[in-house]
Amino acid sequence: MMRVILEVKERHKPNLPIEAECITPKNFLDAEREFHVWKGNKELDLTDVFHVRKDGTAKSAEQVEITIRGDSSHIKRVGEYMDGGKILIERDIGMHCGNFMSAGRIEILGNADSWLGREMQGGKIVCHGDAMDYAGSGYRGEKQGMRGGIIEIMGNAGDFAGETMAGGEIIIHGNAGDMPGVDIRDGCLTIMGDCSRPCGNMSGGECRVFGTAYDMLPTFRNEGATTIDAMPVTRFSGDYTSRGLGTLYVGTCKYMD
Amino acid sequence: MKTLLIKNAFVIDPVQKISGEMMDIAVRDGKIVDDVKNPDQVIDAEGMLTLPGGIDSHTHICGTKVNFGRYMSPEDMRAGRTSRKGDMHATSGYSVPTTYGNSYRYSRMGYTTLLEGAMAPMEARHTHEEFRYTPMQDCLANTLFDGNWFALEAIQDKDIKRLAGILAWYLSAAKGFGVKLTNPGGTEAWGFGQDISCIHKPIPRFGITPREIIVRMIEANEMLNLPHSVHLHCNNLGKPGNYMCTLDTYNAIPDLNDKRQSLYSTHVQFHSYGGTSWNDFCSKADDIARSVNDKPQIVIDTGQVMFGKTTTMTADGPMEFNLYRLYHNKWSNHDVEMETGSGVIPVHYRKKNLVNAIMWSIGLELALLVDNPWQCILATDNPNGAPFVKYPEVMALLMSKEYREKEFATLHKSTGRRVALPAIDRELTWDEIAVMTRSAQARALGIIDYGKGHLAEGAEADIAIYPIHVDTTDPAHDYERIINGFSTTEYTIKRGEVVCRRGTCTLEGNHSTYWVKPHVSPAYDMSTDTAFIDGFNKYYSMRIGNYPVGDEYIGRNVCIETEASI
Repeated sequence: MMRVILEVKERHKPNLPIEAECITPKNFLDAEREFHVWKGNKELDLTDVFHVRKDGTAKSAEQVEITIRGDSSHIKRVGEYMDGGKILIERDIGMHCGNFMSAGRIEILGNADSWLGREMQGGKIVCHGDAMDYAGSGYRGEKQGMRGGIIEIMGNAGDFAGETMAGGEIIIHGNAGDMPGVDIRDGCLTIMGDCSRPCGNMSGGECRVFGTAYDMLPTFRNEGATTIDAMPVTRFSGDYTSRGLGTLYVGTCKYMD
Repeated sequence: MKTLLIKNAFVIDPVQKISGEMMDIAVRDGKIVDDVKNPDQVIDAEGMLTLPGGIDSHTHICGTKVNFGRYMSPEDMRAGRTSRKGDMHATSGYSVPTTYGNSYRYSRMGYTTLLEGAMAPMEARHTHEEFRYTPMQDCLANTLFDGNWFALEAIQDKDIKRLAGILAWYLSAAKGFGVKLTNPGGTEAWGFGQDISCIHKPIPRFGITPREIIVRMIEANEMLNLPHSVHLHCNNLGKPGNYMCTLDTYNAIPDLNDKRQSLYSTHVQFHSYGGTSWNDFCSKADDIARSVNDKPQIVIDTGQVMFGKTTTMTADGPMEFNLYRLYHNKWSNHDVEMETGSGVIPVHYRKKNLVNAIMWSIGLELALLVDNPWQCILATDNPNGAPFVKYPEVMALLMSKEYREKEFATLHKSTGRRVALPAIDRELTWDEIAVMTRSAQARALGIIDYGKGHLAEGAEADIAIYPIHVDTTDPAHDYERIINGFSTTEYTIKRGEVVCRRGTCTLEGNHSTYWVKPHVSPAYDMSTDTAFIDGFNKYYSMRIGNYPVGDEYIGRNVCIETEASI
């Protein structure tokens, strides 16, 4: 087992984002490797931003566990292309955490910024706090968002959760914001709380809203009452602006006045 | 008085009928001269392949349509990023790169002149502004007339001289270079919710047929004595069975010019489809090629498709909407007031998709079946068939049967039953490739007399030196070397200045915009024609006084003045 502890140093301007796509378990296997992060257009060494401590050795990424401490709320792209191992983030994390990850586990004890698990292929992300917008979605212009894996958000999620989702599973235990699951084509998006305008233009996949769906879109057809795990829900098919092959379950829904 | 001497160049220059001679090239003040004494700069080409600068006679690199492709595809902008380096700006984009991206990548391949394939005259300002930031290449723009109401009305009245006058006014106003027809009549019909599927059927509102539009435009074009012929994107692009329509069009073309073709038919791959639907879709490249072989008045470009992601953009609005119905991807359509329309949609050509595999084969078949390379130009209709960075691969495919077979083996397994490509043994020679990538373009565009596309004394010193030694390279087997060699020049020289060295560009582009100004008699001068001015002010959203592109938009430019016969 290898344990890597990265503690964010006191920063003169803590709000300037740091692009740290090098922080993945696999990269720490190579003892010779140099780690560079970017602050704006300046390339810095990892040790300029973090106190780095490495204990133990590992043969594969699965045996590496990275812990990030301190104010990491502006550290972006942690765990990009990660394919095994663990990352534990003790406080908040910046945007694009877990981009494109295909295996492994990321656990965030604080909140996550936007694009958590963007276009991920597999693995698991657990966020104990809230997530901002676009969790599990595709980036600007991308046709497919998350394609596999699981994102579990214990708090609330922002707008556009699971936009263009094409596989995998997103579970939001709190509320989601506006337009979750917009353009969803496959996969399963579960929202335990409320949301508004879910699943616009959905062309496949499944979305469950156990709370109230506000401003429900009129392009979904009510298919009658059913239950999921003994909870009463109403099943809708839609979105009929786009072939209507998706399924949306809502606890209660309110249409726009 | 800057002078340059290129020593030991292995020159192929088809215009001068030079086929692989070792020679020295002398340059003074951006022009090729007989000899220079004590040159300021000497380049030793060490026997490398030296050609005139490449010319792309049909590409989409600047203008509103291209820019909308950029808007629509942020994911494409992320696909090809390079950071700032020395004199080079940062660039981004793969199929629709930024203007600098286009310019650097073309320059890297040795291209020094580009023709923007379609510019709506009303949106000419934007095109010219982007030309100014394409610093390594001279740019020209084809001007769209396929749905121009004044032109269509003149055709309706069978008044060809007035039609010529209208073309002349628009070309001068938009600072355009050639007359472009895209799906003549079709885009305009689509504006009224209708479509054109046959060139013999009248279009709504005007009651003239696309065939009439094409023939009359050719007649008017020749009256103006323009350097370039009519540049035609045939009707029914991309529809199975459209080859009949293409053959009908070719059969209607008169031969009116002995110096060059009377019709430049563009991206013919998209117009050589047999079958009745996508299920029995097949190649009819042999019929098209036979027709072209019989007709010296026609020059085509291949519009080769290469596999991968790209963005299609054309003034053929209905075709783009049909593509949207196939792909269900994001798409845009746009109408330009009195003139034309356009559409943009990203597509992904896949090897395992039978239709795409047949399209790929058709482009190659056309290039191999047209006997005369002067009549068949190599292009991908960038970015519709593929981004232009794939040109070296296309060249290698045409030069090596072995490479074609290797690629063919990776395609959908039914492709062989629908195309003739595996049965074609022809492998193009170095000279033929040189013709198809620069000389034929220069002749077709009529710019040989302006010093383009050749290395004779007095020509513009646009030279590309490729790291290829012809005597030790067997194109049939060393196709990897051809791809690498044609991808990055050793030197790209523009007007006697080295603008690109092994892929690293300097910003000394020295480029200019070429446009034509036909002089017509006062009777056909539309700027004083009351009917034209009244119609213009009545139907356009801008006044005629604001319409022409001002000189401040075009920077350094070359105005080609012609004397019209009207």
